[in-house]
Amino acid sequence: MRGPSVTSWQAATSAQPIAPIEVEIVAAVAQTGWGMAVRRPPKVVVTSPDVVSPRPGTVSLPLAASKIPVTHFRFDVAGFAAPEVSDSLSATGPPTARSTKILSADGLSAAARKATRIRPPDDVVRLEDRLSYLLQPPLEELLASGHLSLACQPFGYQLEGIAFLFPRQHAVLADEMGLGKTMQAIVAMRLLFHQRQVRRALIVCPKPLVTNWQRELEMWAPEIPAVVIEGAQERRQWQWETQDTGVMIANYELVVRDRQEIAAVSRPFDLVILDESQRIKNRSSATNQAVRELPRRRSWALTGTPVENSADDLVGIFEFVSPGYLRTGMKPRRIGRAVSDYVLRRTKDKVLTELPPKLFRDAHIELTPDQRESYDLAEKEGVVRLENFGDRLAIQHVLELIVRLKQICNFDTVTRASAKLERLEADLEECAASGRKAIVFSQWVATLDELAQRLERFSPLMFHGRVSSRRREPTIAQFRGDPRHHVLLMSYGAGSVGLNLQFASYVFLFDRWWNPAVEDQAINRAHRIGSAGPVTVTRFVALQTIEERIDQILEEKRELFDLIFSGTRPSRDMHLSQQEIFGLFNLDLDAGGHTKAA
Amino acid sequence: MTGGPTTKPSAALGFLTVLEDDELGIFGGYLLVNSTGRPLEFHCTAPVKPNRAQEILYGPTLRPYLYGEQIGATLLEQTKQPPPLVLTDSTPALAVRAHVQTPVALIALGDSPGTALRIADGNDASLVDGDGTDPARVGPYSVVVHNAHASDLSAVEELIGGSCAIDLLEPFERIRAAICEAQRIGGSAPRGALRIA
Repeated sequence: MRGPSVTSWQAATSAQPIAPIEVEIVAAVAQTGWGMAVRRPPKVVVTSPDVVSPRPGTVSLPLAASKIPVTHFRFDVAGFAAPEVSDSLSATGPPTARSTKILSADGLSAAARKATRIRPPDDVVRLEDRLSYLLQPPLEELLASGHLSLACQPFGYQLEGIAFLFPRQHAVLADEMGLGKTMQAIVAMRLLFHQRQVRRALIVCPKPLVTNWQRELEMWAPEIPAVVIEGAQERRQWQWETQDTGVMIANYELVVRDRQEIAAVSRPFDLVILDESQRIKNRSSATNQAVRELPRRRSWALTGTPVENSADDLVGIFEFVSPGYLRTGMKPRRIGRAVSDYVLRRTKDKVLTELPPKLFRDAHIELTPDQRESYDLAEKEGVVRLENFGDRLAIQHVLELIVRLKQICNFDTVTRASAKLERLEADLEECAASGRKAIVFSQWVATLDELAQRLERFSPLMFHGRVSSRRREPTIAQFRGDPRHHVLLMSYGAGSVGLNLQFASYVFLFDRWWNPAVEDQAINRAHRIGSAGPVTVTRFVALQTIEERIDQILEEKRELFDLIFSGTRPSRDMHLSQQEIFGLFNLDLDAGGHTKAA
Repeated sequence: MTGGPTTKPSAALGFLTVLEDDELGIFGGYLLVNSTGRPLEFHCTAPVKPNRAQEILYGPTLRPYLYGEQIGATLLEQTKQPPPLVLTDSTPALAVRAHVQTPVALIALGDSPGTALRIADGNDASLVDGDGTDPARVGPYSVVVHNAHASDLSAVEELIGGSCAIDLLEPFERIRAAICEAQRIGGSAPRGALRIA
């Protein structure tokens, strides 16, 4: 499109006229369509609100909380006062100031930093009771207070043991031998005395341990009077009737003998502690029945071997601790679950990392030619004799043969040759040369007598059932203090419980006991708190003999123990059956229970 | 402001702490112990759960309000034996001081004099919304008191400045275990979701 033409004029001047110039400019016009919109008037909307409308609604937010419910618990301030004891019974004065509280550089009690808590057992159901335990200060603080100061600082696991026993009506402390069960029980009992939950307690223990308990009580609870039940029947009866505060110590035989007198006591004991409670594993024994009849409010059992042969051993102990709680025939795993809140079991390996190591070495001995000939002949004849018994064969006949064969493994019946003795002498030479001491265990006094003769140059001392109780403590003292005596010859029965022989570095098991738990107790006489160095345990096993076969059975028993108390081992046939004992000689039982050669 | 008990203070110490449970809410516990650490009284609250409106409108003052005014003051009202000092290990609970007459102190183990007070919840006590004083070293502990009651520090120094037979942080553990037991949450041990407030 051609744009409009534009004409321009130039201003006229006087010089000359200006002629018009024609300039051609091209311009384009666009159509916007706004023309109508611009001409259209705007639309105005008018709103007229009602100025007299009602007041707006409000929402009230509940910012101020209502009263919070509070639960209240108040406690007896008098707890943990000095125990109430009658003056006439008070054998000792007030506790000496032997505080174990140590203030660290920053002013905080070192004991307070480590907190061992008293936790309520599962069978305490009232909330007030549960809280009364939970709100107590840590055991370290309780024991650091003036009335409860201890002779020396317990190990952490011992405090745990005390905290375990203290709140329990029913408890089994099953620590391995040497971990201080006696001390833990005494301190827990002492706390109960101070809290006035216990005024009168009874400790039942094997006779040789009575003096040990007296000594330990004097050390760990000096302010609590302790009396030993002893003497003629009239005196004992008077003691049972009149001792109404403090601790009474009695041996098992006396408890059986005085059943009627004890039953006649008007007030139950606040606490009964059974030491070495494996003594009552047989439920039908007189001892078991006598202790079950003891009138009591709290029942604690101490044992290093809660299961010696079968799970029913623990059932026997629980007949005292919590009658009816376990039944014979219960599966081991189920028993393990049922007793988990009642039994505390620790082993040295787990809790005493600072304890010197215990080194085991099995000395596998080849019999001397004389012994081998005697042994083979005795076994051959013995088995024939057993077979000849036919239907009349009893377990006792088998056990008699075992004893005979084991004795030959120790000494030849004719020449008295002994491969074990040769090995023992060599080891003892080394032991004596280094100034160390050794304990030799056998199950027979006759064997110990013979060893005493043959080992004379080591000046051996004897400690067994035929040594009078009067001579026992001096013998131990002599062995401990006299450097000439390098060897102590002990029987398992006499030396397996309650003795502290931690100054011995070597233990020899000249022959093996049926029960590994008894062996462990014997070994732990030397391997316990206070041991100066490692303890070497030598277990003699005569090769290709009944000893080697029994050794296999002992190993299986160890596995049974682990099954109940750790629950980690696979299930095994735990019972040492008659069949297994007969099996030692390849004898077999038929379906009717009759024996036959396998 | 609640006046609190007006009877003569006993030779005891009060310990106040607050726990939070993700599901159940906030619990308060107060333990009164004697000079050897043995329990005299224990009070604990039912769980408290702030509603959404409170969370929005109280903002950063919500916790001091709940821990101090609501829970702390309610608990301290209950004591039969008013102590001369109440200790807490919970930073917001220091706000209870505005509602009671008893001196209150926030306490923690101090590394060295003058260092910032690290509370168990990981907060720095100097960040108590301006309510707390600078941390002071008293014995082995670092202590913060309410700004408006700076004189409380002298009560703290008098009571715990010298030799103190008990570990002053340990009773808080007892309170936590007891709250868990009383409320049946996770048995007697604090469970994972439960945390120090």
